[in-house]
Amino acid sequence: MKAMNRRKLITASAVLAIVGLASTALPAQAAEVGVSSTEIKLGMTLPMTGTASLGYNKIPGAAKAYFDYLNANGGINGRKVTLVVKDDRYVPTEAVAKTNELILKDKVMALMAPLGTANVKAVASSVNPARRGVPVLFVNTGFSGFADTKKYPTTYTVLPSYIMEAKIMGEYIKENFAGKKIGLLYQDDDFGSDALAGFKTAGTKFAVTVPYASGSQGAAAAAGWITKFKAAEADVVILFGVSSATSAMLGTAAQLKYAPQWMLGSVGGDATTIKLTGVPAGVLYNAIGFSPVPATTDMKDEYVKLFSDIYAKAVPGSAFDLNVLLGMNTAFMTAQALKAAGANPTRRTLMAAIDSKGATFANSALVPAGYSKTSHVGLTGYWVGKYAPTGDLAPIGGTYVTYTTDSGSGAVVKSTYKRPAMPAKGLPN
Amino acid sequence: MHKSKKQTTHIPLFILGGVVLYFLSGMVDELRVYQGASIAVYVIAISSIILLTGYSGQVSLGHGALMAVGAYAAAVLRIEFNVPIILCFVAAVLAAAIGGALLGAAAARLSGPYLAGTTLALAVGLPSLANQFTVLGGEQGLLFDVGFPPLSLGEEFTQYKWFFWIAALAALISMWSVRNILNSAYGRAWRAGRGNEVAAQLAGINTARSKVLAFTISAGIAGLAGALLAMTIGTVSPSAFPLALSFSLLTGAVLSGITTLGGVIIGAVVLVAIPEIADVVAHRLGSSESVTTNLPGLIVSGLLILTVLFVPNGPVEQHRARKAKHDAAHAGSKKNDKH
Amino acid sequence: MQLLNTLLIGITAGSIYALMAIAFVLVWRSTRVVNFAQAGMALLSTYFGYEAVSRIGSFWVALPVAMIGGALFAALVELVLMRLLVKHASSGPIAGVAPIIATLGLLGVIRSVISMIWGGQDLRIVAPISNNGFTINGSTLVFSPLKLLILVVVAILLILLTILFQKTNLGLALRASAHAPEIARLSGVRVDAVRTLGWALAGAAGAVAGLFQTVNGNGNFSPDSIEFSLLLVSGFIAAVIGGLDSLLGAVIGGLFLGIAISFVLMYVSSGLFFIAPFVILLLVLFIRPQGIIGVKAGRRA
Repeated sequence: MKAMNRRKLITASAVLAIVGLASTALPAQAAEVGVSSTEIKLGMTLPMTGTASLGYNKIPGAAKAYFDYLNANGGINGRKVTLVVKDDRYVPTEAVAKTNELILKDKVMALMAPLGTANVKAVASSVNPARRGVPVLFVNTGFSGFADTKKYPTTYTVLPSYIMEAKIMGEYIKENFAGKKIGLLYQDDDFGSDALAGFKTAGTKFAVTVPYASGSQGAAAAAGWITKFKAAEADVVILFGVSSATSAMLGTAAQLKYAPQWMLGSVGGDATTIKLTGVPAGVLYNAIGFSPVPATTDMKDEYVKLFSDIYAKAVPGSAFDLNVLLGMNTAFMTAQALKAAGANPTRRTLMAAIDSKGATFANSALVPAGYSKTSHVGLTGYWVGKYAPTGDLAPIGGTYVTYTTDSGSGAVVKSTYKRPAMPAKGLPN
Repeated sequence: MHKSKKQTTHIPLFILGGVVLYFLSGMVDELRVYQGASIAVYVIAISSIILLTGYSGQVSLGHGALMAVGAYAAAVLRIEFNVPIILCFVAAVLAAAIGGALLGAAAARLSGPYLAGTTLALAVGLPSLANQFTVLGGEQGLLFDVGFPPLSLGEEFTQYKWFFWIAALAALISMWSVRNILNSAYGRAWRAGRGNEVAAQLAGINTARSKVLAFTISAGIAGLAGALLAMTIGTVSPSAFPLALSFSLLTGAVLSGITTLGGVIIGAVVLVAIPEIADVVAHRLGSSESVTTNLPGLIVSGLLILTVLFVPNGPVEQHRARKAKHDAAHAGSKKNDKH
Repeated sequence: MQLLNTLLIGITAGSIYALMAIAFVLVWRSTRVVNFAQAGMALLSTYFGYEAVSRIGSFWVALPVAMIGGALFAALVELVLMRLLVKHASSGPIAGVAPIIATLGLLGVIRSVISMIWGGQDLRIVAPISNNGFTINGSTLVFSPLKLLILVVVAILLILLTILFQKTNLGLALRASAHAPEIARLSGVRVDAVRTLGWALAGAAGAVAGLFQTVNGNGNFSPDSIEFSLLLVSGFIAAVIGGLDSLLGAVIGGLFLGIAISFVLMYVSSGLFFIAPFVILLLVLFIRPQGIIGVKAGRRA
């Protein structure tokens, strides 16, 4: 008797559950997916909560701030741009599930700035936006593999790859610190291994390399790192980690009176973020830094001025840092791509627009982008700066010296790129 | 109490289940089909917890790590040696089972919180091992491609449907096996050991061996779930097996009723459906950004507490207990009627 | 020098794990429950401390405020959540798992609510005394007045709590209520009140752990900060290593774990941060399944 009831219960539950979920499925849309006469819908997945979310959870607010500004000024050919953001907590399983929702339920036109190498890879493999023809714009990771157009035909990078950055650093070291002992702090995952590959291409020899497990960085760990660097007597210490690692390192170094020549990677090198954690400005002074976009404190730069104004009005009280600048910059580039996609944008015309005109899209970066019919590579380099006594990054000698390279074995060259003027009011032209 | 009748294998039931799922997968859209595959994976994973904790009484906070072992075994074989997919899944079960045996042997002398602590440390430590060996792909992960559905199934057959079929078939087979194991002498030995270890030993059961066996089998099943999870996301990476996953499995087991296999689908469905429902609720209720972002987490955690407090043995057991009370009352009144 | 610094780093980290472990042991000894929400409570207490510092400006006022706030909150949790748990879920296999699940749920609730009230961004508490390393013969040690203070606080807490448990009637009541509640009740002990007190003490200890963990770093904290996630796992592992039954074990376990991890990271590889605790734990439990100072069989959960 009881067995019968149990059997029924199991089957009934299974059927009910599946039917229940099925009945909430939505019907399909008519024209291009995600595009209506009044709206263009974009989707983003990134960690909004959880330990990996620090700093990055400002990006949606930043992007939306720009899109709201855009919409208030006519949008894209009369259509408002809406950004649907989903929290994936940096777990690939959730990134896939949320992206499925974005594409299959929310029916977005394109994915914008998804974050995290493992997550983008999982989405590419499982959701397969390539097969569905969904553009994946301006991925928020420096992993060089995503520029491979055979594996990821609808994906576009924007950040210079970690390999590029390491090569440029290596070149700068060759020019300025030949014969000195070099130490490297790197994250123990793809972020770090890309860097190591770049340094290998550049021929940099290290006296000591210190990996740290992602998620373990803090003051206690930093004390251990510093002890290792001291033991190896490093003259130059490269910090190729995330912001929390850099802050921990610099803060603890101040307490332990350790002051080598610091060289900060761009990912963890945002002065605003570092100073907010209490690192005294004096510690940053004279450290060398790299960034593809202008310093976030450089109010003389027209992009920084406009973006920080927009952001201050949209999210009062929140600091304008590198995450915000990059978020708004990506939104700006996306807006231009949408405009260039024509009066009736489709996924295909969107991608074609980036292929043909992406390299000339105005944006705040001081290095050129490499988009073309055969390349989905975004920004290709960095400018080198030194942190001023105020702790802010500034170009050495006042003029921006930029280097560009590729993710392969190409040489590092000084760039002659002159950034075009910002279009009027920071709106796509 | 009814005698323990020799439980037949209920094969017709499982075949019926399979047929129902086959028809449903044809009617539902891709998002739901994918969720169906996720549900199937959770069903398998949760059943491994029910076996280990509900029947054998050992608490594991680290089954996510065992899932990872299975997933990596499958992925590495596929990438390095191009082994056929079925064998990859078999390897996943075996690799995880070996891991479980080792863990069980180490843990046989531990109990309660000590075991919990050990499995917790395992859950945190094991996935990060992937960053130490390049063959394991590091943080970016390894690809795990089960291939496209065979062309004989037609052009319209999507990848997700294929995942669903594989996962559902695996779930049906594994549930059938687990059910049989639980109803066998081994299952009875586990329940005996869980209830009163000394009494069980007096009755002739080698409780230490029995516990290790429970860990081994439970781990093997978890390994299968891990490989299937890797299939659904197409990759294996440490971040896919966070500590939160191990906690979710325990949650799902409690939601299903940790002592019985019958309600396992409930836990699985809740684990997959709740985040989505919470998202919708949050957006409808959400005023400020911080509320909307954190409401789903709050809802899930709150549900957890409520379930443990008010439906601790799971809805199936609750239903059964109510029925038993009702039957007993009924039998009583019948007796009185006779006079 | 490297050796000495490695040791000092380990001792400092270990002393904070020890604080957390003390909280776990206090809860275990008084109610036989593992409280996974302990780190969440520590986090909440840190926020209480932050509010105190912003209004009054002194860390030394903030510390007791955080401890009292933590104690009250913990007592509230015991009164509401744990009592319900005992009533509904204290038999069968669910009994072992239920408190774990319930406290995990509570951890999530605390984190979400904190994020909703204070937001997810970093807040700062400045250390009360210098965290700059002592300098000896020109080289700077990884040890500072602040780190010395933390060690002193741990020692004081250990001594006070041990006196409480071993030498006072209240301590006897606490121990009796955990091991044999029925007999204790028969002897006139107000078991329920005593159990709540155990939780309150743990809440206070956790508050100290949270505050010191924060100021020992760069002073920043947020609901999602790495430091608090580490506090949960490392604190629990330290408690298990030491043997859940003993406060002294908690301190020894914490220091042992801190030092062992420090040596592994320094001399093997610093990427092994998450693997080391598991290996260390396994080694300890292999040799002594009840922890370093734990009591053998018969006292199993």
